[in-house]
Amino acid sequence: MLRSVFGKTLWDGRRAIIGWIIGITAVGCLYAAFFSIVNTPEMAGAIKAYPEGLLDAIGFTDISSAAGYVGSTTFGLLGPALVLVFAAALGGAAIAGEEEAGRLDLTLAHPVTRWGVVLQRFAALIVAMVTAGLVLALALIAMSGPAQLDDLEPANILAASAQLALLGVFFGALALALGAATGRRNLANATVAIVGVAGFLANNLAASVSGLEWIQALSPFYYQAGGAPLRDGLQVADCAVLTVASLVLVALGGVVFDRRDVAV
Amino acid sequence: MAAEVIRTAGLTKFYGRRRGLAGLDLEVRPGEVFGFLGPNGAGKTTTIRILLDLIRPTRGEVTLLGRSPRDGGPTLRRRVGYLPGDFTVRGGQSARELLTYLGYLRGGVAAGRIEALAERFELDLELRIGSMSKGNRQKVAVVQAFMHEPEMLILDEPTAGLDPLMQQRFLALVGEARAAGQTVFMSSHVLSEVQQSADRVGIIRDGILVAVESVETLRRRAVRRVEVQFDAAVPWAAFEGLPDLIDLELDGAVLRCRLAGRADELVKALARFGVASLTVREPDLEELFFAYYRGGAGTDQPEGTGDAA
Repeated sequence: MLRSVFGKTLWDGRRAIIGWIIGITAVGCLYAAFFSIVNTPEMAGAIKAYPEGLLDAIGFTDISSAAGYVGSTTFGLLGPALVLVFAAALGGAAIAGEEEAGRLDLTLAHPVTRWGVVLQRFAALIVAMVTAGLVLALALIAMSGPAQLDDLEPANILAASAQLALLGVFFGALALALGAATGRRNLANATVAIVGVAGFLANNLAASVSGLEWIQALSPFYYQAGGAPLRDGLQVADCAVLTVASLVLVALGGVVFDRRDVAV
Repeated sequence: MAAEVIRTAGLTKFYGRRRGLAGLDLEVRPGEVFGFLGPNGAGKTTTIRILLDLIRPTRGEVTLLGRSPRDGGPTLRRRVGYLPGDFTVRGGQSARELLTYLGYLRGGVAAGRIEALAERFELDLELRIGSMSKGNRQKVAVVQAFMHEPEMLILDEPTAGLDPLMQQRFLALVGEARAAGQTVFMSSHVLSEVQQSADRVGIIRDGILVAVESVETLRRRAVRRVEVQFDAAVPWAAFEGLPDLIDLELDGAVLRCRLAGRADELVKALARFGVASLTVREPDLEELFFAYYRGGAGTDQPEGTGDAA
C-alpha cells in the first residue's frame, strides 16, 4: 500500500472509506427491508392519495413491486444522495484537500508527474466507489430472500449497484477536477452539491413537465437509474455516458492542474 | 551541460500583482554548499518552489542540473532531495510509514539508511507524526530529504525547530553531503548557521540577489555587537580611534561598540585592563545588510522584515 500514490491514498483513507461503505450499505439495506412492511394494500392506498407530481419529485414511481420499491428508495433517493456526498468528499480531498492542508508540495516535489498524481488519486476513488457498489449489491442479494425481495434478479441488483457506483465516480470526478483546477475544496464540494440537487430535480421533475423532458438527459441521475437497471439490467449506453463524462472532467481538471501554480 | 547546478537569470515571479521575485540572478556551483540568506518574505521559498516546479516563473530563465524544472519533470526531481519550509504530512501515520512511502516514490532508498539517519537524530520511527513535537517532525523532514543521497539537496529553512544539538548534527550531515560531492542549497534567515556550513552565501532581499560572497568575506564584513564589563573604569583614549570600531560608548566600567572588521586591535586594547565579562553578539540580518549598504552604494537602508513568503 505504501508503494504508490494510489495505494497510499487508499491506505490513508481506509477508515473513512470503510465507514462510508458500511453506512451506505446499512441505509440501503434498511430501506429495502421495509418493503415487506410497505407492500400492503393499505399502504398502496395511502401512497395513491399523494399527488402524482409529488411522488415523481421525490422519485417514488412504483412501490408495489420489489424492483420499483428498491429502485425508488435505495437506488432512487438515499443511495445516490449518500454516494454523492461520499464521492464529493473523496474527490475534493484528492487534490484540493491535500493542497489546502499544505501536503501537496512534498508529494509533487518527488519524482511523480502532476498527471500521475491526479490519475492515481482518481483510480483510488474508482476503487472506493466500486467497492461500495459491490458491498451494497452483495448485501442486498443476501437479504433479498428474507426481506421478500425475491423477484429481484441478483444480476440486476449488481447492475443497479454498478450504475450507482458509476454515479459516484462521476461526482467524484467532478469534485476532483474542480479541486485540481482551482485548489479550492469548498468550491468543488459546493459545485457537486448544486449539480446534485439540480440534477436530481431535473431527472425527477422535468420528466413530468411536457416540453421539458429533454432536461432529463442533462441529469447524471438519469444515466444512473433512468434506464431502470434494477428491472431491466445493465444499461450499457448510460454507463458509457457517465464514464466518458467522468474521464472528460478528470482530463480537463488535469490539464489546468498541470499548468497552474500549486498553493503553499 | 551547464557548469552550474542552479542557474537563474532575471527570474521574476508575480503572485497576481504581488511580487515574489524581481529578476533574480543566481548561480550555484557543483559540489558547494550555498547559503541562501534573507529575511522572511524576501523570495527564498518562491525561488525554491520554482526550482521544484511547484510554481512557474512569470519571466526569466531557470535551470536545475542543466535542465528547466518544467521540462526536467520526474527525471530531474529524482536527483533532488527537498526539505520544505513547512513540512506538513498526515499525522496519523508513523515516521516509518511515511519514510517508507516517500522512499518508494523516490525510487528506492539504500537498506538501513533510514534507520541510520533516525538513530543519528535520535528519532523514534514508530512514533505517530501527529504526536511529535515540532523538532521531531523537522527531523523526519531532514531524514526524507537526505535518505536517498541525491546529487542536489534543496533545503528551505532546514534547522527550524531543531534544538542546538540537533542543529549541529544537521550541519555535520551537510558537511558529509558536501564531502560526498553533493550540492546543497539551503535557505535561512539566520546568518550563523549558514556561516558554519556554507562555502558561499547569497543574500536576497525584496526579490533580488543583493550580494554573493564567500563566507569568509561575509564574516569579515559582519558587524558584531561588543559589550565589555571592566573591573574598573577605563579611559576613553584607550579605545578612541581603533580601526573598524563603530558607535563606541564608554559608560564608566562598561564599554559598548560595534565591530565591523578584525577583532585583533580591540582585543589587544582590552587586554591592558581587567576584563570582568565580554559579550560578542553575531549580527542579525539587519545589521548584515547595514554593513553591505554602508560599504556599497549606501543608498538603501535596512528595513523591517517582509510579511509574505
